[in-house]
Amino acid sequence: MEEHNIIEVKGLKKVYKKRKTKELVTAISDINFNVREGEILGLLGPNGAGKTTTIKSICGLLSPDQGTIYIKGVDVKKNRLKALNHISAVLEGNRNIYWRLTVRENLEYFSGNRGKGRKEVRHHIEKLLRQFDLKQKENELVSSLSRGMQQKLAIAIALLADSDVILLDEPTLGIDIETGYEIRELLKQIVNEEGKTIIISTHDMPVVQDLCERTVIINKGHVIADERVDQLINLFETRAYSITLGSPLSDRQQQLLEGKFPIYQMVDLQLEVTLENEGDIYDLMDILKSEATKITKIDRTTIDFEQVFMQLIREEGKQHVVS
Amino acid sequence: MSFLNLVGANTRIEFIELKRYLPNTLSLIFTFYFIFLAMFFGINVIGDPQTADANIQYGIVNMVFWYLTMMTLQNIGFTITLEATRGTLEQLYMSPYGVWRILLARFLGYLAIHSVVVILLLFATMLTANQWLNLQPTIVIPIMLLTIIGIIGVGFMLAGACVIFKQIQAFLQILQFILMGLAFVPLNVAPFLVFAPFVKGFDMIRQVMIQGHTWTDFTVLDFSILIINSLVYLAIGVAFYLKCEKIAMSKGLLSQY
Repeated sequence: MEEHNIIEVKGLKKVYKKRKTKELVTAISDINFNVREGEILGLLGPNGAGKTTTIKSICGLLSPDQGTIYIKGVDVKKNRLKALNHISAVLEGNRNIYWRLTVRENLEYFSGNRGKGRKEVRHHIEKLLRQFDLKQKENELVSSLSRGMQQKLAIAIALLADSDVILLDEPTLGIDIETGYEIRELLKQIVNEEGKTIIISTHDMPVVQDLCERTVIINKGHVIADERVDQLINLFETRAYSITLGSPLSDRQQQLLEGKFPIYQMVDLQLEVTLENEGDIYDLMDILKSEATKITKIDRTTIDFEQVFMQLIREEGKQHVVS
Repeated sequence: MSFLNLVGANTRIEFIELKRYLPNTLSLIFTFYFIFLAMFFGINVIGDPQTADANIQYGIVNMVFWYLTMMTLQNIGFTITLEATRGTLEQLYMSPYGVWRILLARFLGYLAIHSVVVILLLFATMLTANQWLNLQPTIVIPIMLLTIIGIIGVGFMLAGACVIFKQIQAFLQILQFILMGLAFVPLNVAPFLVFAPFVKGFDMIRQVMIQGHTWTDFTVLDFSILIINSLVYLAIGVAFYLKCEKIAMSKGLLSQY
């Protein structure tokens, strides 16, 4: 295992049997990726892609049929409890905490479950209550808190474990923009000041674009992209063009475009096209030139991470994988 | 020290829940007290007056042990179901101590709290019946502690079943009648029950409290049977629980409810 990799996932496979039909369903197959110490990794994928299976396997809550997971050099399958010393998680957000206990009681209970006494964690709890702006609410029942506050408490509990890796499943799901922003800032602070490694599984693309250095995208049970977020954006940005034409395309030109560029769209005189290679721009020009189609304007399309994600998922159907 | 912190945290959570839902806790205790009252007046009205005192004493001891085992075992069963419903079960599974140790800590905490309730219930029933049992804590407490090990073992079996099936409430309803049989039937009536969990311990405590037995009245064999019975049930219980946990993790059943 390489020294800077805190998590190493190798050849993960999980097959479920459907309860009624007994049909076998492959949830994930040959999942491989590493997480470096101190990085924020975004784990993305559409619903049913295999994210949850991957996350639960990393946490040791699910035994994979094949493959290995190492957390700080500890094999999760062989030594689950030892591996759990290095990882904490917020799995179901605000459902993961005791609603009938107060904020402080929750913090004390979960630290007790990691073998820590109340006196031992007193200062850490005080620090977290202030850091997460929960001090005023420390003696209130969790059920009376807003969803955002509950989510912040769940993250504070994960931090209290003082583990090297924190896994967050949908940390901003169902919370307002302001609290979402607050949580993002807190997570940045945690990584910068405490050097924690964070894995975020989310559908919230601005969170990924803002927080994550690298992303692993899973679709249909396997990894379709494992790349730095900025590089992915650059990669797609350089290949996406918006061309304003002076006249409509002929049927022959459209057929040529369909054959050459799987991702293109023609609305009125506006041609949106994504090129697979930089050199494809010359082929595009040749098609337009062949019938002397007038070009009024060429723009390189600005692309955000959500569009990158959508394109990767669509392209995956056509067997294009970025790695 | 770390395990003590685990026990401390889980005892606290049990106590907080009992305190926060005090009306529910009190109604449970009063229900048992009223069942005892019904039994007490039944014995007085329709029972043989010559054996009424002995019957009432048996009634008190049996009721109290029935209460303790039933409350403890039901609590264990409900703990898994409740945690799964709340969504906190997986978070418990993130503890490096393992859920079986957390459950053990919960049982110990729950037993510690309910032992106080049992003592109060015992004095209330003795006062009502005006029948005073031979309590002898120096002998009753060690036998009780050994008996509790077996109760915990059965608790782990229930918890294991809950991890996979989640809904075992119907079985828990039946369980209270099975427990009644185990708590109420003396060993001299059904000697084969010596292999059943906690029957030997209850029988020995009955002998101390009702017949006034002391240490010297018991043989080494009595204590050997009690210790072996309790340890076997504990070992089977923990092994069964860990097996169920493994199955649940393999089939992805932990978070399902």
